[in-house]
Amino acid sequence: MTLLKTIDVVKRFGGLTAVNKMNFSLEKGEIVSIIGPNGAGKTTFFNTLTGIYSPEEGTIEFDNKSILGLRPDQIADRGISRTFQNIRLFSNMTVIENILVGMHPRLTQSSLDILLRLPAFKKEESISEKKAEEIMLFVGLKNVGNELAKNLPYGGQRRVEVARALAANPQLILLDEPTAGMNPQETEDAIRLFRRIRDEKGITVLLIEHDMRVVMNISERISVMDYGGLIAEGTPAEIRSNPQVIEAYLGRGAVANQHEVKAVQ
Amino acid sequence: MANFDLNKLTQKIQQGVWPIIITLAHLILGVTLVYLNPRSNLAFLLMISSFLSLYALKTPVLFKLVTGALLALVIIPVIGVRNIFYLEVIFQISVFSALALGLNIVVGFAGLLDLGYVAFYAVGAYLWAFFGSQQYYVLHFAPGTQPSNLPFLLPSDMFYLFIFLAIIAAALTGILLGTPVLRLRGDYLAIVTLGFGEVIRVLANNLDKPLNFTNGPQGITPIQKPPMPPAFVDIFNSVFGRFVGHTASVADMYNVMFYIYALVVIIIIIVVTRRLNDSKIGRAWTAIREDETAAIAMGIPLVKMKLAAFATGASFAGVMGVLLAGSRTFVSPESFSFMQSIGVLTMVILGGSGSIPGVILGAATVTILNLQILQGLSLYLSQLRQSDAVIPIINFAWKNLSNQLDPAKYQRLLFGLILILMMIFRPEGLIPAKRQKRELASDKVEVKG
Amino acid sequence: MKRLFSSINIRELLRPIGQLAIFSLGSAVILSAIVLLLALIMDKTAVGLGVLARFHVSLFTYTLVNLPQVLIDGLTIGFVYAAIALGYTMVYGVLEFINFAHSEIFAVGAFVGVEILIFLDGLGILSAVPNWAAFLILIGAILAGMLASGLLAVAVERVAYRPLRGASSRLVPLISAIGVSFFLQDAIRMTESLTTGQFNRIFPTFGNFDDRLKFGELPMGANMITLGVSIKSIIVIIAAVLMLVGLNYLVNATKIGKAIRAVAQDRTTANLMGINVNYIISFTFLVGGLLGGAAGVLYALKFTRIDPFVGFFPGLKAFTAAVLGGIGNITGALLGGIVLGMLETFAGSYLGVFTIGAAGTEYKDIFAFGILILVLIFRPQGLMGENVSQKA
Repeated sequence: MTLLKTIDVVKRFGGLTAVNKMNFSLEKGEIVSIIGPNGAGKTTFFNTLTGIYSPEEGTIEFDNKSILGLRPDQIADRGISRTFQNIRLFSNMTVIENILVGMHPRLTQSSLDILLRLPAFKKEESISEKKAEEIMLFVGLKNVGNELAKNLPYGGQRRVEVARALAANPQLILLDEPTAGMNPQETEDAIRLFRRIRDEKGITVLLIEHDMRVVMNISERISVMDYGGLIAEGTPAEIRSNPQVIEAYLGRGAVANQHEVKAVQ
Repeated sequence: MANFDLNKLTQKIQQGVWPIIITLAHLILGVTLVYLNPRSNLAFLLMISSFLSLYALKTPVLFKLVTGALLALVIIPVIGVRNIFYLEVIFQISVFSALALGLNIVVGFAGLLDLGYVAFYAVGAYLWAFFGSQQYYVLHFAPGTQPSNLPFLLPSDMFYLFIFLAIIAAALTGILLGTPVLRLRGDYLAIVTLGFGEVIRVLANNLDKPLNFTNGPQGITPIQKPPMPPAFVDIFNSVFGRFVGHTASVADMYNVMFYIYALVVIIIIIVVTRRLNDSKIGRAWTAIREDETAAIAMGIPLVKMKLAAFATGASFAGVMGVLLAGSRTFVSPESFSFMQSIGVLTMVILGGSGSIPGVILGAATVTILNLQILQGLSLYLSQLRQSDAVIPIINFAWKNLSNQLDPAKYQRLLFGLILILMMIFRPEGLIPAKRQKRELASDKVEVKG
Repeated sequence: MKRLFSSINIRELLRPIGQLAIFSLGSAVILSAIVLLLALIMDKTAVGLGVLARFHVSLFTYTLVNLPQVLIDGLTIGFVYAAIALGYTMVYGVLEFINFAHSEIFAVGAFVGVEILIFLDGLGILSAVPNWAAFLILIGAILAGMLASGLLAVAVERVAYRPLRGASSRLVPLISAIGVSFFLQDAIRMTESLTTGQFNRIFPTFGNFDDRLKFGELPMGANMITLGVSIKSIIVIIAAVLMLVGLNYLVNATKIGKAIRAVAQDRTTANLMGINVNYIISFTFLVGGLLGGAAGVLYALKFTRIDPFVGFFPGLKAFTAAVLGGIGNITGALLGGIVLGMLETFAGSYLGVFTIGAAGTEYKDIFAFGILILVLIFRPQGLMGENVSQKA
């Protein structure tokens, strides 16, 4: 079943076309990576999916309904969560509060419940607190619930971002370079975590990633972007040997050179 | 030589019965000194700071509540009636604490810099000023030309109804202003709210024509106070008469009454703020303050939540406006200038934005500096001017000092210095806000990753 | 000599003058058309009848006859706003920071200039000088005001803004700037009170600045309306044009201007390219202060009376002008100033007539805020600004 489908999405900034006729689709339960050289338009594409930018042309359908023109909070409410390339936690809130903020669209407490501390409010708070703790354990955060987010080490902050994105029970989670700046051990843990998000929670995972070890290791399908559009799509094996991809990464001539190198070897 | 260790000392005074003894000693010393000195800044500061001891030292909650209530509801009224000078100061502190707490919701929690906060205060004040005075019958008269002996439009006990109407009116004004401008970036929003504050002040100044709604710069007076039950005065006199030293008049009791109303508003704001802070709404506000882009990506509707903060803050200012109009029986545009807005902002910044005890401390400090220290300095200077005293080395005779130099009028200098120094050296304020710690099951369990 | 001329970029010198002419003419034509249309529509209503009863002319004639003077006044005040707005826009362009204290930097310039003139007046020099010398003295006072404001701006940046440059929220330096603004208001007041015993100062009368050049007279019913412009208004306009041309040249055609633009684009990269960012920022504040100081003395010349709080409203309006034109954009600041000055003068002159006295000049000051709010809602990037999106 198709979960996300974009047709001919265009996003321009002044004279620059950052996303150019992007066609992309995602099946439910997949783990897919988008790769591409710097400036290929990957993050801009993420931002059009999550409503931070509204595209000039094209359609975006999520769960068979158009999400075009919706605000980012409405899109989050529909079930798309995300993390950011450079961590954007609520630094002066505790870890558990960060996760509770992630639950915002799912909480039903009204102002009256809150001001009068009605049983409905207390019940919801204690349930969400428990749930937040489960998520913390799921991403491997221990004994840090009351720490301020900014006081966590880098790897911990990355985990909190994932936990916060998981808090709203999303159908789709977008991870923007989630392993950037991690050491090999942390990267390995992260890959395992992303698999478990799909396997245990059934959430579809879409990544932007530069680290080829991660991409090749985790992706079931890879989409390659360049100049704002899709230039190739396929399994990791197919992508590895796609001359267009190699050209995009290493420049024109690289493909020929590669053949020469192979021939010499 | 014994090493003086501050940490050990603080630890020691937080243990056993010491906190209770120190708090009580502080309180009793302060109260006694105030009781004995009719006009001493120091004694007053000592007494009022016993709230700080009460807050900071580790004593049982029941002790804190009882002592705090005793001080706020019995000791201060008695001392206030005995010496109206102190009651005025404490009333002003309460009014400004309430305003600062209201602004704190907007600035401290949601991180929206509102430079026109007193506009909402003005909305409440003018609401009761118009309906609680004879102004309705003055609509067709230019300021100063109305006949005497006009009746009042509404009975004085409508005051209480208007407290609630003011909540609605101020909140609506907040929403009306907020809807178009809350999309703006923080610094633009600040300037727009400043402009809005000026718009309200200029309207108050000029809406004396074509119909005379506000009576222009002269302001509206007399405004009715709510009725005072005679029994209240009698009971107070029979119970506390001997401590006060003279029989309390109705006017005295009005001062006490408005002080207590302000206190009630403060308590309501504190309860509301704390409850909101520990909920979906408060977390959303803090998230917006920390990172708008991340907040909206987490499903928080930015404009709606900002409007909620704006309206909540505004409604408290509206209530305080009605209280002000009733207690002073007079409102004029002067009370709602940009400087007042900055004054309230200074209180929030000084105490610690987002921190309830901090904001109250900020309000008390700025009010005392303003009312006591600056005015005290003015008094002292004018005494020097009348004396023959000379500054020794430079041979400057005090009586040659310019009359224009009246420290009481240098509030801007005070506010400005506080804002600059706090931003540079302690942006989180005197008592920084703390995040609520939760009892977490996972903190106790050993988990295997 | 030849080399010197060839190194000056004539195009950069002339371009802003052309733009100025277009803006002035454009806003004059548009606003005139609007009021004349309004006057035509309202001619037969109570408004028109009221005017007929009072001045014995139709509303349309009344509007038309008053128009030239309104345009001249609007242009003059517009140029004052534009001159102050340049200071806001310079600093905002480089630091993305609203220098709230710019209004007091402006006020300090006004006070320094006026105090010097009052001192000379006290010596009896001013009353005796011929017109050309009066003109030179005025230039001297303007330069002194510029110097004082420029140095003050640099000092303020060093003390109250630079330590906050890395702050997490952009509100932190803004709050500090508000603090500086308040502090300076009372600091001026205290200095003036202690040294002169009063803090309301009057620009001394000297030279022929108050004379009016008369263009002619227009008949309105039985009365004649004289049309003219005072020498001081001409000085204000010429000085503002010079300031704009100079600033435009500095930013767009010199080496240090290139460095300023580089720092505005990307501070970190500029630093890596060997530009001393702190120096450039100080220099930006110096330029903003110099412009503010000159504007202050010009303001005092035009409006005569100054007090320590004199900067507040012109400052806010100039900020509005900067936003209206597109903040960070030098030409935009000028356009915003002219449009705002015109709008305000039109409102001040005609609002009372069109509303039969229900609202008039007293609302002039808040008129700017209405515009500010409208601009920010419908075109936050301003008339000339480019659409910039935030990075996610």
